Amino acid sequence: MQTETTLAQADVSELDLVKRCQAGETEAFDELVTRYRTRIFAMIYNMVHNEQDAWDLAQDSFVKAWKSIKRFRGRSSFYTWIYRIVMNVTIDWLRKKQVKGAGVEFDDAIQLREVNPASKTLPKAEPLPYERMERTEVRARIDNAITQLSPEHRAVILMKETEGMQYHEIAEALGCSIGTVMSRLFYARKKLQNLLKDVYENI
Amino acid sequence: MFMKTFKTFEEKWTAWLDDQLTGKELEDFEASLPDKEAAEAEKRDATKLGALLKQELGAQPFSNEEFFNHQLRERIAREDAQDRPRRAGARSTWWTVPRLVWTGAVSLALFMICAVVVMREKTPSERSEYLTQILNMRVDPVVSPNATVSVFETQGDRVTVIWTEGLQTLPSDYAAK
Repeated sequence: MQTETTLAQADVSELDLVKRCQAGETEAFDELVTRYRTRIFAMIYNMVHNEQDAWDLAQDSFVKAWKSIKRFRGRSSFYTWIYRIVMNVTIDWLRKKQVKGAGVEFDDAIQLREVNPASKTLPKAEPLPYERMERTEVRARIDNAITQLSPEHRAVILMKETEGMQYHEIAEALGCSIGTVMSRLFYARKKLQNLLKDVYENI
Repeated sequence: MFMKTFKTFEEKWTAWLDDQLTGKELEDFEASLPDKEAAEAEKRDATKLGALLKQELGAQPFSNEEFFNHQLRERIAREDAQDRPRRAGARSTWWTVPRLVWTGAVSLALFMICAVVVMREKTPSERSEYLTQILNMRVDPVVSPNATVSVFETQGDRVTVIWTEGLQTLPSDYAAK
């Protein structure tokens, strides 16, 4: 009960901050940025795997949020609303990068063909004992596996597994249906299970 | 509480992995699995994958947090300053959005009025000569006191039907036309 009250108070003060931002108070926006910057930076970093790019994209996202905060009507929570901006900015950036880049980093069609929905996940690499792996190696394996997902699949799996967001929140943040979120989650999990089985098996 | 009916296999599987299936939906789905043990193993794998991702990606260090805010504040101030004259310039111009809308509406109304006037204007040259002649007969009460003439027109198909009743005589040159 106490937790619920605390959460409610937090929500009210957040709404208050948003109203102050809508009135043009940059200090209130600064407070909102402080609340969300770490989570948003982590989310973007996990999608783009480059600190400088993540920094710039986080800045772009917050600037866009500031410019459009007057249009925020409070129908969804502020964090779902800002996640939508973050996702649009990041996915757009990744798509542009894909077009500019020489090679194809990810391809939805290939990915879906590669995954048999009824298949059991089997490790592609030889199992390595987790103890012998350096933490950086594990991180590199995960980053590499995530790089093989399309931007939309990355977004869905990261929001679900690292942010603990509900299906409908992810759908709202990405502007798609719940069914699409679940379908993307299905394929993203299958792909990552295939690529990382030896890693998580040894935890 | 999350409530949804799951349609595709992918949706049901995902919901099952995340313990979102309940009641009959859960029973039906588990009964439809060809290999329950393999499916359970998959579920355990998915849970381990989720734990791994949360552990490794959840806490991303973010250095220079205050500098991030500082840089953002400066950028917002700069972009606001750049936008302000643009917004003021947009306001001072004669062609504001309401004026554009008003002018558009007036122009449309004028066009409609002109179109209606032009369309209602009669073009006598397109009228049948027979019609004129019969109508002339109709107005002569001596020749045809009880004559009535009805005209049906379909301009799109260029068809005119003349329905006459009580005519005593026809114009002498009628057959030649």
